[in-house]
Amino acid sequence: MDTILQLLANGLMLGGLFAIVAVGLTLIFGIVKVVNFAHGEFLMVGMYLTFLVTRMLGLHPFVAVIVVVPALFLIGALTQRLIIQPLMSARDDHIQIFATVGLSTALINLALLVFGADIANTPASGLRTPIEIGPVRVLSGQIAIFVASIALVIGLQLFLQNTAMGRAIRAVAQNRSAAQLMGINVDRIYILTFGIGAACVGVAAVLIAPLYPTSPTIGTYFVLTAFVVVVLGGLGSIPGAFVGSLVIGLIDSFAGFYIGSDMREVAVFGVFLLILILRPAGLFGKQLNLSHVSP
Amino acid sequence: MKLSLLLKTTVAAVLLTATAAHADVKFGALYPFSGQLALLGDESARGLEIAVDEVNAAGGVQGEKVVLVRGDAVDNNQAIGEARRLISREKVAAIFGSYSSARSIAASQVAELSGIPYFEMGAVADEVTGRGLKFLYRTNPTAEDMGKLIVEMIVNKVAPGIGKKPEDLKIGIIHEDSSYGTSVAGHQKKYAAEAGLNVVSTQGYPASTVDMSSLVLDLKQRGVDVVLQTSYQNDSVLFLQQANEAGFKPAAIIGGGGGYSMQPTADAVGHKVIDGVLDADFTQFLVNTKYTPGLETFVEAYKKKYGEAPRSGHSLNNYVGAKILLDAINKGKGFTPDALVAAVNTIDIGEGVTAAGYGLKFGKNNQNERAKMMGMQWQDGKLVTVYPEAAAVAPMRLAK
Repeated sequence: MDTILQLLANGLMLGGLFAIVAVGLTLIFGIVKVVNFAHGEFLMVGMYLTFLVTRMLGLHPFVAVIVVVPALFLIGALTQRLIIQPLMSARDDHIQIFATVGLSTALINLALLVFGADIANTPASGLRTPIEIGPVRVLSGQIAIFVASIALVIGLQLFLQNTAMGRAIRAVAQNRSAAQLMGINVDRIYILTFGIGAACVGVAAVLIAPLYPTSPTIGTYFVLTAFVVVVLGGLGSIPGAFVGSLVIGLIDSFAGFYIGSDMREVAVFGVFLLILILRPAGLFGKQLNLSHVSP
Repeated sequence: MKLSLLLKTTVAAVLLTATAAHADVKFGALYPFSGQLALLGDESARGLEIAVDEVNAAGGVQGEKVVLVRGDAVDNNQAIGEARRLISREKVAAIFGSYSSARSIAASQVAELSGIPYFEMGAVADEVTGRGLKFLYRTNPTAEDMGKLIVEMIVNKVAPGIGKKPEDLKIGIIHEDSSYGTSVAGHQKKYAAEAGLNVVSTQGYPASTVDMSSLVLDLKQRGVDVVLQTSYQNDSVLFLQQANEAGFKPAAIIGGGGGYSMQPTADAVGHKVIDGVLDADFTQFLVNTKYTPGLETFVEAYKKKYGEAPRSGHSLNNYVGAKILLDAINKGKGFTPDALVAAVNTIDIGEGVTAAGYGLKFGKNNQNERAKMMGMQWQDGKLVTVYPEAAAVAPMRLAK
């Protein structure tokens, strides 16, 4: 019984970790309709920034949020403005995807150039302290990630539902042309959304950096699962991404123990395929309008 | 008529020897100098460069100055391209390399087809020599040597140290699931079975994993005494941290090179947590220098040339390989592929006389049958050699 509880806790913590990375990705996908392959590298950049801020200023890693989140917002907004937007009118939407793949490779190599292939260590600052809750043992840093992921999901939902800006963003997602006719500056909304999506991954970076050593390829460790989670939850659905993350985290944890760690990914992707076959739009997905223009 | 012919040949011969005496002899240095593997690729190449400096200072090989031509094997395709360039444009007599097994396997194929000797001094994969190439020679120990040494160390030192019979130990093997981890784990299993050890679990995982808690829980519940992990850096850090946090304290953890030999790993995990963790790898620097004569001279030469201490043992092992090969070539006749092959085939050097400790004699498939790894242990934040006895600088610390 204790084992099952521990596996459950491990699975939930892992789910929180996937969720916090995936939220920004699904936001960008749902609104801007660009699959951002550089998402993992945004995470990597955020982790290096956290590392630099904590190392140079000797602050608690969480304080780095003041620097990292605005920085990532800027990087996201610039990516949309300088790379994606000029390609928005391209004849084929896939060109934007390749542009983000290029950005991803460029960022990895830039990091290799600047930081080298070695790992960079953000001080754990007490976040690696195991906390015992009954028979279960988790790290304080993991709990922080889990709580932050819930807060981020709820916060984004409230923002999108209740603010004028949020409504404008949703309007653009539903029908770009109609939104434009209503006087919404679509280009600006896209830049803003990309920025917010990247800022979300900035929050993730600050929370993850004290727990995982940073390296130029660290983003690739998280991003594949983030894509799975986003598709599983329903492309563009933020609560979907959260639930999808928990599902994947739990499968990973239980399969890793009961089936064996080499079969973990088989279990994860098996369930993923099964859900897609049964519910092609994902758990929370609606029929999505993937076109940039009105249907 | 006859006289003119004689004259011509004499002139030609004189010209030939004249050019030969003035010309340098070119060798290729094929390593990943840029990209992901650049750090240790460059470190490996430095060993070769120091060997060449020493040889040139002592009059070169067969009276000629050795010149290294660099080739950058940034990925497998470029390794092939650069090998071609070195052979056909630069006309190198042989290629030295290459740190990465994948690059070595790709590039040595080209050298084999051109009939140019390829001297591998750092790649550990079995397939490098396993393909039975005629012109490929390897001086360094392999994945198999690693598996062998680890099992030997468990039987001879670890089991007595923790006060159990070897066959009573429960051994868990975990490895990253690319060819590196899988092949080392395969050898560990094979030699463990031969030694009558009890392997209770063998599990692979992708090196890019972000969670090993289930694996740790599994090992903990099986009551594993000795964990063998073959891994890169991130997964080494992850396992050691998660094992510690889950309260899993096996009597011994033995790493297989990779992440386990690197100082940043120890710094990331924490010197307290990694204390006592064992590791099998190439010869490192904290070793009994009576067993590795010439090591201190090498370190001095390194510091003088590069202005820093060696960043890993890769330079040392490349230095030793290159030095022995060049010495043998010096005693040979000419630089044709056949002459080089004949020269290196005569090498017969015993244990304890090189700066890396191990000897050199090419055996089956031109693999150095005397190459050996060493056992190291993290003690107070430093990786010190503890096995074999002759090379040890500190006793192995084990808790009963």
